Amino acid sequence: MMKLQTKLALFNLLSKLVFSALFIGFLPLIIERINITQTDNELIKKREEVISLIAEVGIGPFVMEDTATGFGSYNILKEEYISLERAPAGEEWNYIDISKRIIDDETIDYRVLHYSLGINGEAYLLEIGKSLSSITYSARNIRNLILVFLAFFIIVTLISDLSYTARLLKPLRIITGRLRETSSPAFDPAEPLITSTEDFVRLDRTLREMMKKIGELFRKEKEITVNISHELMTPVSVLRSKLENMLLRDDLDPATEAGIEESLRTLHRLKALVNSMLMITRIESRQYLKEDSVDLQGLVREVTEELAPMAEDGDLNVILNCGSSYTFLKANRPLLFSMIYNVVNNAVQHTPPGGRIEITGRDNDGRFELSVCDTGEGMSPEQLDRLFTRFSNRPSNSSTGTGIGLAITKSIADFHDIAVRVLSAPGKGTQFFFFFPVNSL
Amino acid sequence: MNVLIVEDEKSLANEIALFLKRENFLCDMAHTGTEASEKIAVNLYDFVLLDLGLPDYDGLDLIKEAKEINADVSFIIITARGAVEDRVRGLDLGADDYIPKPFALAELHARIMAVARRKFRISSPDITLGEFVMNTGARKLMHGNTEVEITKKEFDLLYYLVINKNRVLARHQLYEHIWGNALDDQYDSNFIDVHIKNIRRKLNAHAPSPWLETVRGVGYRISTDS
Repeated sequence: MMKLQTKLALFNLLSKLVFSALFIGFLPLIIERINITQTDNELIKKREEVISLIAEVGIGPFVMEDTATGFGSYNILKEEYISLERAPAGEEWNYIDISKRIIDDETIDYRVLHYSLGINGEAYLLEIGKSLSSITYSARNIRNLILVFLAFFIIVTLISDLSYTARLLKPLRIITGRLRETSSPAFDPAEPLITSTEDFVRLDRTLREMMKKIGELFRKEKEITVNISHELMTPVSVLRSKLENMLLRDDLDPATEAGIEESLRTLHRLKALVNSMLMITRIESRQYLKEDSVDLQGLVREVTEELAPMAEDGDLNVILNCGSSYTFLKANRPLLFSMIYNVVNNAVQHTPPGGRIEITGRDNDGRFELSVCDTGEGMSPEQLDRLFTRFSNRPSNSSTGTGIGLAITKSIADFHDIAVRVLSAPGKGTQFFFFFPVNSL
Repeated sequence: MNVLIVEDEKSLANEIALFLKRENFLCDMAHTGTEASEKIAVNLYDFVLLDLGLPDYDGLDLIKEAKEINADVSFIIITARGAVEDRVRGLDLGADDYIPKPFALAELHARIMAVARRKFRISSPDITLGEFVMNTGARKLMHGNTEVEITKKEFDLLYYLVINKNRVLARHQLYEHIWGNALDDQYDSNFIDVHIKNIRRKLNAHAPSPWLETVRGVGYRISTDS
């Protein structure tokens, strides 16, 4: 996985490197070409100079009668030479080539201009040469200069590419940042993004429209939740009050009393059921606030104390391993209480007398971990699979629970980004693990 | 005490009135917001039990109105809307308590008594239970000069039974009072039995407690002679 910005910069760098490599590869050829043209031009210019000099002072000073060869001149470093000698008449030369010359027992490659001159009826051959080593020397200089320039160019453009793409991609960063911060789709879409890149404007618009639609759906769901609760709870309330008043009458026989109590208990179950489902809906549509800083060790201790009488009554050995306080930020305390309570209560209810429940809360390198382990009945793999499914653990006995407790636990855990793991086997007890996230600031 | 019951569900209003009259409250009823507004303007009530879901009136407006006429009136909000915002807004506007439907009449009674004690600074009476004395102010249970060591939850249970004395309370009602609605789904009738058992054990270490009765098939009751 790589950032878009890095990818763009890398591609740019790579394309520049390939281009530069090609350029460097062809560079000697190009430079040679340029150099030779340049040298040839110089040679021709020199030839013109020599010709005009001869026209001015005559051939005399250049041709010595006593030598067979004629005039020859070298500069000290043998970089250049000029020679003028008699040549057989009737031959014409005018070309430039590369020839070897032996000067002071040294063979040197020269770029040589050959030119035939006719002066006073005599034919002469003029040769002007420039040593190739001086040409390659200057070629090397030019190449070095170009390499330095290329390196400089690549570094400068890389930096400017990086900063430009960073600027260019800033809107994208803003959009992803907004999405990340949006924990609830009911969020009010922020003001439109200001950017001159059309693609980003379109992306931003699409996302904001989507957010608005989802937010609308959530708002409707919230409304339905409220309406259901109102519509259901009022008739339940009427029934309940009627039955309670009935129970207060003095003329009831014990059977009627018990019957009324049973009806009231059923109503209580109905109420618990509706409340539990509303609670899950509210958690899932994020209607709860997360504004509490909760000492988790304290919370675990509180839950354990709350359930101590029940554990004692069931002859259970409860072992509580709690370290020093650990504060979990941005949480909903009552919800976390319910989450832990449900699991510990589950352990208390499903562990036979004489059993053991071990509750351990610890700070694992900044992350809080809570485990609740019992020596209870345990669960089969099928039961384990359906553990967090609503109503799957519906108790056969109508006096206990609604079978929705662990579904609530799971939704509260999800709401707080807490990972839940359960290990269990029939007869081997159950182990619940809660892995809390690192505190987000 | 004068109570106005503002509830559009007539049968519910009737049941509340029936219950409170038995507790010697003077009850009046209003089934619409307008009716309530008129009654509040001409009568002095100590309590208004207000259903927020009125068809013609925003219940919260009614609180504002009533407080202008009589700053001493106490409001207890009754609502089927469990929304947290409503609760917070209601309490902000000066409501004294909030009770979600469906509530137990015994619970409503306990809440009214609690608000009344706070409001009218009624000195918390000592309640005699057989050889025991319940000091409701200090939240202590005494046997002679010795304090009976009971937990906060156990005291709350006893006190709830005391407020509703001579009346049987079902186990789920007691559970609901102590643990509230959040843990409804964890209800187990055994919870209350265990707590009552513990209370009895602690009491009986000092003196017998025949006043704390088990009503077979129904629940528990505190019977007093008076």
